This record gives sequence, structure tokens and C-alpha cells, in this order.
Amino acid sequence: MSTFQTPSPANRVRIVVATSVMLTFISYWRAAAIVLNDLASSAFYACGIAEQAVGKSAPWFIVGVMLFSFAVRAVYVESCSMFVRGGVYKVVKEALGGTLAKFSVSALMFDYILTGPISGVSAGQYIVGLINETIATADTHGWIPRAVHGLFHGTPHLNVDLTSVVFALAVTIYYWWENTKGIHESSEKALRVMQITTVMVVILLAWSALTLFKSGYNPVPLPIPENLHFSKESLGFLHHSFPEQSIGKMFGLLGILIAFGHSVLAMSGEESLAQVNRELAHPKLKNLKKAAIVIAIYSFVFTGLSALLSVMLIPDAVRVPVYKDNLISGLAMYMWGPLLLRLIFRAFVVVVGFLILSGAVNTAIIGSNGVLNRVSEDGVLADWFRFPHRKYGTTSRIINLVVILQIVTILASRGDVYVLGEAYAFGVIWSFTFNSLSMLVLRFKYKGVRGWKVPPNITIGGTEIPIGLLSVFLVLLSTALINLATKSVATVAGVSFSIVFFVIFTASEHANRKKYALSKQQMKDHFQLLQSDTVERAPLGIRANNLLVPVRDYNTLNHLRWVLEHTDTREQDVIVMTARVSQFGTAAYGLSAEQMFDDYEQTLFTRAVSIAESVGKKVSLLVVPARDSWSAIAQTAHNLESSTVVAGLSSKMTPAEQAFALGTAWEAIPEPKEQFVLQIIRPDGIVDTFRIGPHTPTMKNEDVVLLHRLWLNVTREPGLENIHHHDILTEALTRFARDFGAREHTEIVKDLQRHRVDSNATAPQVRRIADQIATVQPEPTRTERDGDAE
Amino acid sequence: MSLKIAAVLARILEIMFAVGIVGSTVVLVLSGIEDIKTLFGGEDEHHS
Repeated sequence: MSTFQTPSPANRVRIVVATSVMLTFISYWRAAAIVLNDLASSAFYACGIAEQAVGKSAPWFIVGVMLFSFAVRAVYVESCSMFVRGGVYKVVKEALGGTLAKFSVSALMFDYILTGPISGVSAGQYIVGLINETIATADTHGWIPRAVHGLFHGTPHLNVDLTSVVFALAVTIYYWWENTKGIHESSEKALRVMQITTVMVVILLAWSALTLFKSGYNPVPLPIPENLHFSKESLGFLHHSFPEQSIGKMFGLLGILIAFGHSVLAMSGEESLAQVNRELAHPKLKNLKKAAIVIAIYSFVFTGLSALLSVMLIPDAVRVPVYKDNLISGLAMYMWGPLLLRLIFRAFVVVVGFLILSGAVNTAIIGSNGVLNRVSEDGVLADWFRFPHRKYGTTSRIINLVVILQIVTILASRGDVYVLGEAYAFGVIWSFTFNSLSMLVLRFKYKGVRGWKVPPNITIGGTEIPIGLLSVFLVLLSTALINLATKSVATVAGVSFSIVFFVIFTASEHANRKKYALSKQQMKDHFQLLQSDTVERAPLGIRANNLLVPVRDYNTLNHLRWVLEHTDTREQDVIVMTARVSQFGTAAYGLSAEQMFDDYEQTLFTRAVSIAESVGKKVSLLVVPARDSWSAIAQTAHNLESSTVVAGLSSKMTPAEQAFALGTAWEAIPEPKEQFVLQIIRPDGIVDTFRIGPHTPTMKNEDVVLLHRLWLNVTREPGLENIHHHDILTEALTRFARDFGAREHTEIVKDLQRHRVDSNATAPQVRRIADQIATVQPEPTRTERDGDAE
Repeated sequence: MSLKIAAVLARILEIMFAVGIVGSTVVLVLSGIEDIKTLFGGEDEHHS
């Protein structure tokens, strides 16, 4: 169903702007895996940080936070049921206006900026811990030469914090480059990481149960004020007013609240639920709920139970002094069983930690990039930041800014996970608080239909009181406020960061206002934006079997010129489309037609129109939002019934790779669907043509000869005189399919790999087989009798 | 004086937290029941 707004004056170029993102939808399992890649990563450092702050009863607070995360998850489900394109910026802006939305985004940015450094440094701590432990074990067996001892003044070891900083910098720089090139985020990868993590969690829990049975355990002190032992750092500004050990006794519940505040980062990552909501398959709400249940149970079991087990199994003498920054490694080392087996499991823990934590570094860059892109599209960040990278088309300036901030944070932390964790909690708790406050306000401000509401709700005098939502907000607000007092580093850093970003956003918005007014006027003079819910032929007024020309960089439009020079547009329509790609993180946010078509798209389409005018041909213009450009092209070609897609040569892919990427996107489109042709126009005018979808393959001459010889031989058999060439192929393919699924699978794969490396290398072999057939049973040349000659 | 103000603020935070935790526990129980229904397919999506 399409809806249209403005009428069409004849003197302006019409552009159809699709407003629905062309997404490939994912199951709730995959959605849960994406969120858990962020949420479960905190299990690797949250309990260590909490125990340093509040003492040995910290695991109970981690368990409490994980239980409370079930309630926070309910708020996010309600928010996602209202705003499919949710996200804290959208929700807060709707409820509380632009100013608080800018503050909430600043807090979210602080969260994202800190996610990278804490994850990178934590992964480094696990790796360096393993290396040092392995060297120490080797040394006890006398495997380290004495000369090496001399160099290190004892058993060789790496400086844990320094090496972790180096590691975090290396991972951050690696993902900076990947994101600059335009990394493709796949839910498949997230699912694989979570499958491997699940194997580790199952082994961890089972082995821990065995150890508890065989070796006993240390009791975990109950979470009561008497058992809280705050450090000087964990009281922050309160340290000046209250003696360290008496605060718990002076204010019993306040002590619990302070401890809760120090454990809250265990649920960081919950906000990713809003980001994946958009991509969930139908029925969306039910799948969202299922994903949320999986996420909550998984993180409760992993983060909550591993925290309890670490105190139960790791002796007090080493838990904080040695393993505070790599508690799960410590857990592996204190399992019941031989040392070698424990070291192997520890190595597995480190591998899983590396996968999930380095993934979180990447998520942090993608998330920050997404949020800053979104606010930039709203005019609160200078357009300069969104200018695409010349070669890769990514918003590299935003990525650079984010990564510079992360590198500065890593260097400033000097590898101290505790400091990073304390600061990180600021962003986490305030972005949750803003979100829940906004949802609370919206209960009174917006009375329309909601997919779901946080229970319970009671109605008094016709007014509905959202008891559940209010309760969650009260816990979040009280935690956020107490954290301001107890986390001095986080408060100073977080507030300063938020104010700096808020000032930048406000100043940019002010500066952009005039420019936008002028730009909007120019756009209104030249272009007429027609908003359409979906991409269909009717709104564009085009015929089937048209040519679709995707464009991105206004400096490389040679392929459009080529198309227009070779096409009679009276016979075949040409559609110029650009995909407004919003990566993971931005897909959560909706854009209006004007936001979809801003300065860059104006310049791009102005050039496209000028090429069309110079050739004297007519083109139709289309903007589609998408998560990735290949899906957008494949789905647009499918929806518009295009016969051909004509693209320019990519700066980072070969024509065959481009065809493979488009083919993969085509495979994801549900049936029924039509094949189409892809033409890649190289800068020198050479055209590479590919068929997208199932098609008759191009056969080499030697393959045709072999097929013909086989056919000749088969037709000699009694009763097979009338057989066709395609019957030979059917039989050959059937046998291939059978063998491929059975014992000859490996051999076939090896042959195909050899063939892939050098397709010409197998040609002599094919010719030799064809010659052997001819030598055994010579036969004069014949053609198939029914005209099926090939 | 400032200690007294701090004490009052602390009590307010304690009350907010305590009330919130009790309410959140109710949220946890009620949404947990819904979760079980969702997981075992017995729930019809309702719109309010």
C-alpha cells in the first residue's frame, strides 16, 4: 500500500522516497544472539569490578541486577511495541523533547565509547593472564631457560595492564579499519559466537557442579548491610562525609543501593534489544518477547551463576589479587581435575572471551556511528561528519571521531578495568533511566494503541496508573542518582563528556538551522519528494522489464551514462536508485523523507539528472532505506520487475564478487521471484554480464564435447537410441547429488577446490576423458535426431 | 546541617529504591507468567 503527499508540479524532478527499510528479517534466536553478544560480554568483567567495590557479597548483587534486568527488558518490549524504529533518541524526543533527547544521546554515546575500551582491555587481561599462567606453569617444570630468567629478573611475565592496553589498541584499530571499509555485520556470525559461548557455559556449569560436589565451596556472604565492605574508591564523593565501613550500618538500605549501583553494568547491552527489533520476522511482538526471554534467561544463567561460582570456588587469597580482571579464567583454574585439563579449559575461556569481547568492540564502533549518523540526520551534528569516504562510501569521519575518543580512553585508563567499568556504568544507567522516564511520560501523553504494556496497571478515576513502569523507573533513577555520588570518576567523566557533546549538538543545530532552511528551499525548487511506504512500479509510473541503475558516489556515474547511451528510454524505463544504508544501530531509527534525501542525495541526483539531460533521456529517481546495499538492489529489482541491473565497478570487489553478493541477496528474497541480469560497467567500458538466480550455465567447449561423446556412446545401447543430451545431464547431476551427499563428498569437494583455483587446469583432463571415450568406441559425427542438438 | 540534608536525601533514595524493587518484583512475576505462556504458545497477543 502506497501513500502520497505533495501534488506534482511539472517543473520539478520527481523523486520517490521509500520509507520502509529493505531488511532481511531474522528469527528471534538470531536477534537474541546479536543482543547477547553485547550483554553476555559483561559476564567477563562485571563481578570482578563489583567485588572490588562492595566486597565478597557482590555476586548476590549481580544476581539481583540480572533479575531486575527482566523488568528492564519489559520496558524495552513496551518501547519497541510502540516504536518499531525505537532507540533512546527517538523515544526520548517523542516524550521529553529535543533538549533531553540530546542529553540522553550524550549518555548513550558515553556508554558506546566506553564499551569498546572496557571490552578490549578486558579481553587483553584474559589473554595476558593465560600467557603468564602458562609461562609460570612451564617454569615450574623447568622448561624456561635460565638465561630468560636473567632477562626478566625471575619467571618471565608480561606486564598485564600495559599489554592489555596494547591489545585493546590493536583490536580497536583493526575494527576502525574494518568499519572504514564497510564491514558487513551478519547475524550468522553472532549466532556462531553464541553457540561457542554456550558450549563454554555448559562445560563451566557442569564442571563447577562436579567441583562443588568433590571439593566443597566457600559460602557467599548474604547481601545485608553488615557484609558490605566498601573501598575508598567505591564511596566516591561520599567518602569525604562518611567513614568507609559505617555507611552500610548508618543507612542499611542505602548501602544495598550503593552496592546495587556498583553491579548495574552487568546488564549493559540490554538496549541492543531496540536495535534488533526492526529486523525481527513476523509475528514481530511475539518474536520480540521470545528473544527477550532467551536473552534474560541466558544472561541470568551465565552472568549471575558464574559470579556466584567464582566466589564459591576461587579461594579468597587469589580471587581479587590475581583474578579480579579475569574471574572466569580463575574459575577454570580452580575446577576439580588435572592441571593440564584446567589449563586447556582456561584457554577455551580465553578464546570465547576474545570472540565475544572483541565483537563488543566492533559493536561499540557500529553503535556510536549509528547514533551520530542519526543525530546528524536530524541536523544536530554538522553534515561534514556524514560525508562518505571517497573509496568505501562509509561515514569515516564519524568512525574516526569515535575511535579517537576510544583510543584516548584506553590510554587514559592504563589498562585499569575497574576504572573503565565504573565510568561505563554511568552511560548504561542514564540511558536506561531516560528510556524508562520517557515511556512513563508517554503513558500519559500518548493514549493510542500499544502492542504491549509493562504490568501491572491499575485504573483510578478513569486514569491508568502504570505501577510496573513507575517501579522500574524508581529503581533506575535512584541507582543513577546514587551512582552520581559514589562513582566520582564516572560522574566527572560522564557529566563532562555529556556536557561537551550536548554543547556540540546544540551549537551544530544552531549553525545548521540557517543552512538547512536554504537547502530545503533549494530542494523544494528542484525536487519534489513523493513519499511511499513500499517500492512499487505504480508510484514511479514505470513499466516492467526496466533497467535499474544503482548509484552511490556522484564522482563515479559512468555506468549511468553508459546505460543512457545504450538504451531507448521510450521502449525501456531507466530507474536511478540510491540506497540510504543505515548500519546496525541506525536501523532502529526512523527518518522522514526530507531526512532520507539530504545534501548528499541532492548532489548525487543533481549530477544524475544532469547526465540524463546531457544525453536527452528520461530517468526515474528512487531513494530506498536499507541495512545493506545488496539487499536493497535485489529487493528493488524484484519489486519493480526489472530485467537488468546495471552497476559500476566496485572499488573493493571484483565483478564476480559483486555478482555473488547480489546473488546472495536475491536468494534471501521469498518466492515467487524472477531472475534478472546484472551488468557491471568497468571504467574502460568493458561490460561483465551475470545472470542472477537459477540459469543455464555457460558451458566450455571441452564440456560440450564430453557431453556429446557420452551421448553418442549411450545411444548405442539397446532402447536408448532416442535419448537426449539433457537426459545425460539429468543422470550425471542426479549421480553427482547422490555422491555429494554420501561417501565421495570429501573427494568431490577437493576436486572442486582444485578446479576453483585454476579452472583451466581441468580442461586437459576433460579433453583426455572425451578422447578416451572416442578411442574406445569411434563414431562418425551425429546430431541429436529431434533437433535438440546443442 | 549539610549532613542532615544528606541524610534526608539518602532516606528519599532509600524509599524510591525500596518501592521500586517491590514493584519490579511484581513486574518480574507477572511478565514471567506471560513469558511462560508465550514460550508454550498459549498466549494471544492483546492490544491495549
